[in-house]
Amino acid sequence: MIPNTDKALRMLSQRLMNRLLPDLETQYFQSEGMVMGLLMEAIADEVATGIDRRMKDIADMKKLLLNGRNYHNADPAVDRDPLSLSLNDVNKVHDALTGHLIELHIQVEKDGSGEATELNNDIWRYLETTAGRHLITVMG
Amino acid sequence: MTLTLDEVAEKTATFLEGKWQCTVDVTKIEKIFGGASRETFSLDVDVDGRPRGLILRRDPPTSLIDTERKLEYGAYVAIYPTDIPVPEPLFLENDSNILERPFSIMAAVKGAISDVAGLDPDQKKRIGREKWQLLGRLAAKNPLELGFETFMEVPELDQCASGVLAYWEKVINEDQIHPQPIALAAVRWLKANLPPPAQKLCVVHGDYRSGNLLFDPAEGIKAVLDWEMCHLGDPLEDLAWSLDPLWSWDDPAKAGLLLPHHEALEIWEEHSGLSVDLEVFRWWRVFASLKALAIWISSSEDFQNGESKDAILALAGWVMSSRQNRILLDYLSPHAASELAGALA
Repeated sequence: MIPNTDKALRMLSQRLMNRLLPDLETQYFQSEGMVMGLLMEAIADEVATGIDRRMKDIADMKKLLLNGRNYHNADPAVDRDPLSLSLNDVNKVHDALTGHLIELHIQVEKDGSGEATELNNDIWRYLETTAGRHLITVMG
Repeated sequence: MTLTLDEVAEKTATFLEGKWQCTVDVTKIEKIFGGASRETFSLDVDVDGRPRGLILRRDPPTSLIDTERKLEYGAYVAIYPTDIPVPEPLFLENDSNILERPFSIMAAVKGAISDVAGLDPDQKKRIGREKWQLLGRLAAKNPLELGFETFMEVPELDQCASGVLAYWEKVINEDQIHPQPIALAAVRWLKANLPPPAQKLCVVHGDYRSGNLLFDPAEGIKAVLDWEMCHLGDPLEDLAWSLDPLWSWDDPAKAGLLLPHHEALEIWEEHSGLSVDLEVFRWWRVFASLKALAIWISSSEDFQNGESKDAILALAGWVMSSRQNRILLDYLSPHAASELAGALA
C-alpha cells in the first residue's frame, strides 16, 4: 500500500530535521539539511492541494477572460481544459490563461472606462485571491 | 573537477604565501552557509606564527560576470577607508587556475553575529539606530570623492529610477518560469509614475538589510557585508529596500525587526542631511519589492536551469516570491486589506 504521499513527505521532513540533522558535524550541512526539510514541507503542500488550487485559479481566470472579451479575446484558451490532471498539463493551461489575463489587465488599464475600471478591480481581486491561495506557510 | 575542502585550504595557503612572501598554514577551514551568489569559506590561518582570520569568497559554478565581481571588490576597497565599517579587502584573483574559479579574500570580522532574532529590545533599538545612521552617512557621501567613477557607471540624476527599473524588468522577463501578473502590473505602475530626478547621486549598497550586518550585541555594528549589488543611484533606493516588509515579516511594525519605521526614517534623514518626500518614497518602496521579487524569480530559474542545485535557491525563490507578491498587492491593489497594509502606510 502506498502511504499518503503528502503526509509521508512531511514525516520524512520532520525525521530529517529532528533526527538526522543534529548529528551532522558542520553547521553548513545542518543549515543545508534544514532548508531541504522546509522545501519538502512546501512540496508536501503542493502534492496535497497544488492541482486543486490551480484548477480553482483556472476557473476564476476563465470567468474574468469571458467578462473581458471586449478588451482582449482569449476564446481559444478559455475553451481549453488541461489534457490531464498531471501538474505539467494543468500548469500549461494555467500559464496560458495567466498570459491572457496579463494582456487583459493591460487593455483595461489603458481603456479606463467605467466598465474597464470594474474589470480592473475584478482582476486585482483575483490576484489577491490567488496570492492567498498559494501563500506558502512553511516558514511562518 | 571540484576541489575538496582540504584542497581549497592547501591551494589558498600556497596563494597567500606567494602574496605575502612568508609561511602560511591554514589551521581551520569551514564552508559558511547562505552565500547563494558566492561560495564562502571561513579560514583560520597562521602567518609566520601569527594567527589571522580570513573570509574566502569563490564564484559559483554558474558565475556572475567578471564586472560584477570587480564592482563588488571595488566597492569594498573604496568604502574601507571611510567611517562605514566593512571587512578589509585583501585580494581579488581572477585567475581560474588557482581555485577553479575566481575568488576574493577579506579579513574576517571575529566575534560578530548577523541574526537579530536573539537580541533583547534595548539591543535591537541600539543596533537599529546605528543601522540607519550608517545608511544615512553612506547616502551623504559623494561617490566621486571616493573614486567610484573609476570602476562604476555614473548615471544622470534623472536616469537613476528608470535605469534600475529597466534592469530588473529585464531580469523578470528573462527569468520567469511562469507568467508573473503581479510583477508586471507593478512594472507598469512604476513606469507610469516615475519619480523626479534624485536629490543627489550616492553609493547604493543594493542589499542593505539586517542580515547583511555583522554586529556585537553590546558594542554595535562591526561590518556591512555583501556589496555585490552596489551601484550609484538615488539615496532613497537603499532606504526603501531597508524598510521592505519582507525583512520584518514576523513583526511588521518594526523595520528590519529592529525599530518602528518612522524612527528609522527620521534617523536616516538626520544623518544623510536629505529629506524623504513620502509620495516619491512610495515609488521607491514599490520598486524595492519588485526588485526583491525579481531576485526570487531569478533564484527559482537558477535552481531549475542552472548548475547550482542549492536548496536555498528553490526555497527562497518559492517562499519569498509568495510573500513578495503579497507585499506588492498591499501596495498596489485597490482592495488591499491584509495585516501588512497598516505597516506600509
